[in-house]
Formats: sequence, structure tokens, C-alpha cells
Amino acid sequence: MTTLDLSGRSILFVGGKGGVGKSTTAGALAVSMADAGERVLLVSTDPAHSLADLFDTSIGDTEKEILPGLHALEIDPQAEVESYLSRVKATMRQYVRPAMYSEIERQIELTRHSPGAEEAALMDRVTALMDEGPKRHDRVIFDTAPTGHTLRLLALPEIMAAWTEGLLRSRDRSDSLGKAVSRLQRHKESRGHDMSWFDEIEEERGDERTRKIREVLMERRRRFSRARRLLLDPEVTAFVLVLIPEKLPILESEKTLDVLRKHKVPVAGVIVNRVLPDVPLGDFLESRRAQEAEYLARVDRSFAKLPRVRVPMLSSDVVGIEAIRGVGGYLFDPGTKS
Amino acid sequence: MGWRDRLERVGELVREFYDVRHRGALKRERRDEDDLFMLLVFSEMMGIENPASYYTLELLPLLYEGFHEWHIRMGMDHSPLENFRCC
Repeated sequence: MTTLDLSGRSILFVGGKGGVGKSTTAGALAVSMADAGERVLLVSTDPAHSLADLFDTSIGDTEKEILPGLHALEIDPQAEVESYLSRVKATMRQYVRPAMYSEIERQIELTRHSPGAEEAALMDRVTALMDEGPKRHDRVIFDTAPTGHTLRLLALPEIMAAWTEGLLRSRDRSDSLGKAVSRLQRHKESRGHDMSWFDEIEEERGDERTRKIREVLMERRRRFSRARRLLLDPEVTAFVLVLIPEKLPILESEKTLDVLRKHKVPVAGVIVNRVLPDVPLGDFLESRRAQEAEYLARVDRSFAKLPRVRVPMLSSDVVGIEAIRGVGGYLFDPGTKS
Repeated sequence: MGWRDRLERVGELVREFYDVRHRGALKRERRDEDDLFMLLVFSEMMGIENPASYYTLELLPLLYEGFHEWHIRMGMDHSPLENFRCC
């Protein structure tokens, strides 16, 4: 039986079209790994979280141990936005004259509801977890939102890194021009006439600000490029594609694979959920099975280069640890762990 | 005043003349660069889509003081951003 070879991969993304069993697959991988003695952090990035329902327990925005060795977490993007906004407000009080507070606060409030805010906040949190998670856990497994959302999330660090890079270059040019100006200024001072004490006070305030702008941008760049490095490192990260043998999920997964390849995100394999089990099913489902065979053949062709794991349709919903553990048996062979 | 002193004085004046012009050119160039930076950071407010607008928010408190000079220099008497009152 094929299982996924995930040995050594400390960051896993589980993704696919809505309703194909992403959470179940992510949960099943997490439970199997925890059962095998690994420390696992399972993270939901889907704003419509389903981990709590899957495990039939409450899970929030902070890590909660739901099995020995298994912690779970459902990211709350709005809370993330709030904490970012309050950090910005704190910076404001440090750098802005009180008379201007209200204008800037207004701007901050507008951002709270701007379309990209939650997405950006989510990326911040995912990035931080990719960075720090593996220090405390052997595996960090992301149960992602439906495909489009996730692909964007994976592409963001690249876009953002390029953008911060551009801004930093602009700062560099400005700074070196500033230095050239003040060299000439000193030259002039050394010859006597002096009103420079006034300029200096202004300049010092400006310098502190310039330094801080650079610092903020450098920190951003550091985080974006680190996320990007981790994301593209096949020794660290793997993307697991989940689908069911039906037309739309297959089409979407083919497109996803193209995008992942284009961005050079390492893909570990394909999980085919809800395959009709190998037992007599009666006329209705047997004709269904004939159609399914075509789809399974298509999956085999489209994803020929990847390990493909089939998980049969089960007689009941997967809810609670025992059922999840049952699915895990199809996915992950603890013997293959390093 | 001896010849040497006079020559030095003339040299100083010439240097001063070029320094002022040079300094002015450098300052202008730097200002253009800073204006471009402002435009990149505030582009979302100007209706230019900016994938990073959420991240630029943290620069806002640091750039706000320069905002007034910027929009005046850009030839706009009042703040062009309807959500961002300045003057």
C-alpha cells in the first residue's frame, strides 16, 4: 500500500477544493504522527474552521493540547489584525505629535476593514508559526483554506519581499544622497558661518525617523524572505494535495499543481479521499463505480509523478479521535518516519 | 591682505559657489526619491492597488510628518486623500 513519505518534513500544508476532506486528512496525519511519538502542532488557517468539529472539542486561537503530543490551533485573523493595529498605535504615540493622533487613528480604523487586511494578518501568523513552530514541535501541519486562498497565501511572501526590497532600495538612495548633502554642509561649517545648530536639531529628529523606517522595512523583509525560504525548501516543507474522484476537484487540483510547480513549492503527494470501497455496492453505486474508475485513471495520469494514496469512503462520518486515527492508518506509515 | 590670502579667499568663494549649486541638486534629488517613496507607501489611498497596504500602515506614523510637505510639493493644495485629512 502506498503511503506518503513525509520523513523529515517539519512543515506540511494540506490543501484542496472545499469539501474534499482537507481537515480530516490534516487531522489524520497529525494523530498518526502524534501516536508515533512526534510532537505535532495542527493549525487551521481556514476562516471557516472545522478542526474543533472534527475533534469534537473546543479549539481556539491559542495552542491547545488535544492528545498527548498533539496541539491544535485555529487562527483568528481578526484578532491578528487587532493586535497589529494596536502595535501601530503604540508606534504612533512614540513618533507623532499628539495633535495628529486622531487623523492617524482614523486611518488605522479604516485599515481594520480593508479587504486585504485579514489575509495579510493571516500570512503574518502563518509566517511566524513556520518560523517558531518547528522549534517546539517536530511537525507543524497547516489545514488550509480552499485552494485559491491558499495559493495566494503561498505567493504573498514572494510579492511582499520584492516590494519591501524596492522600498529599501529607495531608502538607500535617499540616505546616500542625504550623506552627500551633509558632507557638503560640514565643508561649509568648517569655513565658519554658522546657523547649523538649527538644522541639526531638525536633522536628528529626521535621522531617528529614517532609521526607524529602515528598521521596520528590514524586519518585514527578513520575515518575508525567511518564510519564502522555508516554503521552498523540500527538506523542510511539503504540500499535500487532497481531492475526491470527481470532475471539479480533479480539475482544480491539476491547476493547483501547476501553480505550486510554478512557484517551486515542494509537493509530497496526492490523497484521493472517498474512493468507493472494494465490496459489493448494488446496481446504483456499481454504475457510479464505473465512472469513478475513469476519474481515478485521470488522477493517475495527471499526478503520475507523485505518490497517490487512496482512502476509501467510510461507512460513517469521521468525527472524534478514534475515527480520525482510523483514517490515519491509510495515510501515514509510522515505519517510514525518520 | 597679501596675494596668498586674496587667492585663498577667491578659491573659497568659487568652492562655495559650486557647493551651493551641488548641494541644491543633491537635495532636490533626495527629495524626489523621498516623494517616490511616499507615493509607493500611500498608493492604496490614491486608488492604486497595493498588495502591501496593510504592511505600510506601520510606516504611517513615521511618514505622517512629511505628508503635508509632500502633497503641497505634488501640486495639491489640500490633501488629495479623502480619508486622510491634512489641511
